[in-house]
Amino acid sequence: MRPFLQATALLASVLLIAYGVARTPDRTDPRWFAVLAVVAGLWVVALWPALPRHRQAGRAIVHIGLVLVVGFGMVTVQVLRAQLLDRDRIFARAADPASGIVDVRQYVAERQRERGRILLRDGTIIARDEVDERGGRRRVYEGTAAYLAGYYSPGLYGAAGVERRFDDVLSGHAVLSWQTWLDGVLHRSRRGNDVVLTVDPRLQELGQSLFGDRAGGAVVLNADTGEVLALVTSPAFDPNRLSVPVAASSETVQQARDYLRALEEDGRGPLLLRPLQGLYVPGSVFKTVTAAAAFEFGVAQPDTVYRDDGALVIDSRVIIERNRPDPNRVSFTLREGYGYSLNVVFAQVGLEVGAQRLEDMAARLGFGEPIPFELPVAPSQLARSPTFLTSQVGLAETAFGQGELLVTPMQMALVAAAVLRDGDIPRPALVKEVRRPDGSVAKQHEAAVWRRAFSGQTARSLRDLMIWSVEHGYARDARIEGATVGGKTGTAEVGDRTPHAWFVGFAERDGKRLVVAVVVEHGGSGAQVALPIGRALLEHALQLP
Amino acid sequence: MGKSVGIRWLELQLLVVPSAASLVGLLTIYLARSGRTEWSWSDLTLSLAFIAMAFATSIWLTVLRIRGDELLFPIVVMLSCLGLLMSQRLSPAIPEAGVWASLSQRQLVYLAIAFATFWVTVAVVRRFDALRRLRYTWAIAAVVLTVFTMVFGTDLGSGARLWIDLGPVTVQPGELVKVLLVLFLAGYLDDHRQLITSSYRLGPIALPPLPYLIPLTAMWGLSVLAVVLQNDLGNALLLFGIFLVMLYVVSERLLYVLAGLGAFAAAVVVALRLFPHVSQRVQIWLNPWTDPTGLGLQPVQADLAFAHGHILGSGLGFGYPQAIPVVASDYVFAAIGEELGSLGAIAVVGLYVALVMRGLFVAARIKNSYARLLSIGLVSVIGLQALIILAGNVRLFPLTGITLPFISAGGSSLVTNFLILGLLVRASELTRDRW
Repeated sequence: MRPFLQATALLASVLLIAYGVARTPDRTDPRWFAVLAVVAGLWVVALWPALPRHRQAGRAIVHIGLVLVVGFGMVTVQVLRAQLLDRDRIFARAADPASGIVDVRQYVAERQRERGRILLRDGTIIARDEVDERGGRRRVYEGTAAYLAGYYSPGLYGAAGVERRFDDVLSGHAVLSWQTWLDGVLHRSRRGNDVVLTVDPRLQELGQSLFGDRAGGAVVLNADTGEVLALVTSPAFDPNRLSVPVAASSETVQQARDYLRALEEDGRGPLLLRPLQGLYVPGSVFKTVTAAAAFEFGVAQPDTVYRDDGALVIDSRVIIERNRPDPNRVSFTLREGYGYSLNVVFAQVGLEVGAQRLEDMAARLGFGEPIPFELPVAPSQLARSPTFLTSQVGLAETAFGQGELLVTPMQMALVAAAVLRDGDIPRPALVKEVRRPDGSVAKQHEAAVWRRAFSGQTARSLRDLMIWSVEHGYARDARIEGATVGGKTGTAEVGDRTPHAWFVGFAERDGKRLVVAVVVEHGGSGAQVALPIGRALLEHALQLP
Repeated sequence: MGKSVGIRWLELQLLVVPSAASLVGLLTIYLARSGRTEWSWSDLTLSLAFIAMAFATSIWLTVLRIRGDELLFPIVVMLSCLGLLMSQRLSPAIPEAGVWASLSQRQLVYLAIAFATFWVTVAVVRRFDALRRLRYTWAIAAVVLTVFTMVFGTDLGSGARLWIDLGPVTVQPGELVKVLLVLFLAGYLDDHRQLITSSYRLGPIALPPLPYLIPLTAMWGLSVLAVVLQNDLGNALLLFGIFLVMLYVVSERLLYVLAGLGAFAAAVVVALRLFPHVSQRVQIWLNPWTDPTGLGLQPVQADLAFAHGHILGSGLGFGYPQAIPVVASDYVFAAIGEELGSLGAIAVVGLYVALVMRGLFVAARIKNSYARLLSIGLVSVIGLQALIILAGNVRLFPLTGITLPFISAGGSSLVTNFLILGLLVRASELTRDRW
């Protein structure tokens, strides 16, 4: 009975400690102290010595010893908790720049340990460590895609972008295998791990050159794997000028400060990755979503006919039609309405669909929530105020892509991807793999479906619409020899200024399925400005191995 | 061997371990600092001197024909060896303004004085009757020392006058006062043993006897004073804890101890309410992360040191314990945790457990009731002291200004603790069996 009781008490104390560590954030949490008090009691039970009768005289001494041993045991539990179980919590607290904590060891390790590189899918290095003649380390960025790495500036700004998101991997702190764990235990310093991005350097460079001085962004996705093949933002920044090593000269620090201030004062937001963080009025490219709702809920078919005589009056608001190919025609199918981008047609479709179902479809496509991605993606919005869609005018304007809509290019690219994937939205990915210093692969991207947006039937109808738009409609210039291309242009009104030019499209050839979303800020006509960029990107991406 | 010269073989064999540890440790620190791979014996002077002192002490015990315990001394030597290594490890980080030698050299000198104290103690204290007879002398000495320090002492930044400046060195009489207190209490409680175990009834309530109540109240008052005046919860708990331990041994009544603890806790709660500087300490203990660069700097950096240490530690000389302010006296355990890892830290805790257990084991077998009570009191001085400061380092308890016995840098505590060791070794001769 006694040994059983003692073993039970010991086991219970271990389980209780595990529970306490899991449930309390710190070693001075009152609940943790309560756990320790119970554990102490259990230990007293477990260690209670069975004194023979004739030794009762020495009882007091035994009790004193017991109390001291349990006390030292508590100290041991606290030590083990700090050193083994709470390590990462302690590091995480110290790593928070807002805390102001200086962790000298991290600082010194930073100088000694070589940080992992960031590469593109073909092995092009965009970020690496360089050792200067004094033994100091500096982060060096190369190529037009350098900004995709973000920046690493331990001496001034911390880290951003991929450098921040994968800091534990690049610095080598992440436990990727028992080997790295052992390295940590033995305090062996190893080079950090490499992060390989899915981006293709030539495609990225092409995108950058197509934008030139114009502001905007583009994203090219492999619809099957979700891999991002290009993520272009313009204007961009030079991460070299922001990366300040530890113990940098005050001159370097000042230059970085000046550069950051210049970027912030630029007004065009060069620090922003537009395909992810830029929120734009989508214009006609949003008609794809309206059509999706119409098909999915059985409101209309591609062949459903709508009347468009040049203007539509809703609640005393007149919607003027400018896009009719022939001013004498007054009836168009929904397919034609999409291909010729007829606002009057889509205003009617939207009214038929209704606010509820349009909201439902937008939510299914991921509007209003952050898209799962390695870098933060701004949630796209259907309407700013919840009551906007209850008005007929608001609903109609939203249906053809104006109203209070704000979307990211990434969101629109995912809509196109769902069309290709029979309604499944792939989970987009920027990181292809994580490689250990010896070159072996520690983690590899695996294609995954984020969510299901609509039925296969709806997807086929939408695909039909988008292809028709390229073959017969206003997206005619997007045709690529030997490939099936679908797309939608958009010219998004933004007050009195020149409209944003949009193109969202896809291309298929030899089992390869790609999607693109392009926006040129205040670029003008989508067909004339954004479409050529999208087409060039798709054509080049199709040729990639 | 009979009555011929009994060489303390076990002790000599056990001393090999700390000797090796001290040589290897010092070499590691030296090589880690210089970044070279060559070394000469002169780099190890510190360790060699230390080893020589340790072995000479064992031989001195043989010369005095002391047949007592042979485990206590090697354990203490191991702990002091760690202390010497850590002081060598931490010495360049400590500002050396106007100090006569480096931290490790000073520590070695203190150790030499401590060993000398040990030699003298074991040579002089032959009969415990004499100690017992002087019990009120010890009490008066303790009071005089305390008052003297309060009046003529200097404040070395702790916010209380705890030190006496003697030119080249400053001593902390508080350390010695603890021993004097134990010497007095052992005599006093042993005198009133019969009375204390009895109780008298006042109407329906059984009251503890007066010889119990008087020292209890006095000790309680003293401890509360320590909390308020010195702002040192740990020291108060130590003083009161020693007293409760000795009282428990004499009375064997748990109720008395619990009542004493309750009174102490009540006083502390009141002190927390009344004195903001006391409660501030508790706040730092509970929430250091709310002010990690100000008041919480020490505990936060200690946490980081522990966390970086992981299982095996960075290795002596390879960590950055200097990041913790006042690491050499307040946070040696965190430095050990960083450089020797969990294994090293637990080994240190294990050494203290071994020391305390062995001390209690020895005490339990002493026939002379006064010597037994004295030994238990002395062991609990070391044990409670270690426990309180270790608990402070790992945030189990608010951090206190108590030193880690045998390890922390500082002469007063070393000398006192070696004095305790001398008394314990002598007392171990009074056990039922020969060793």
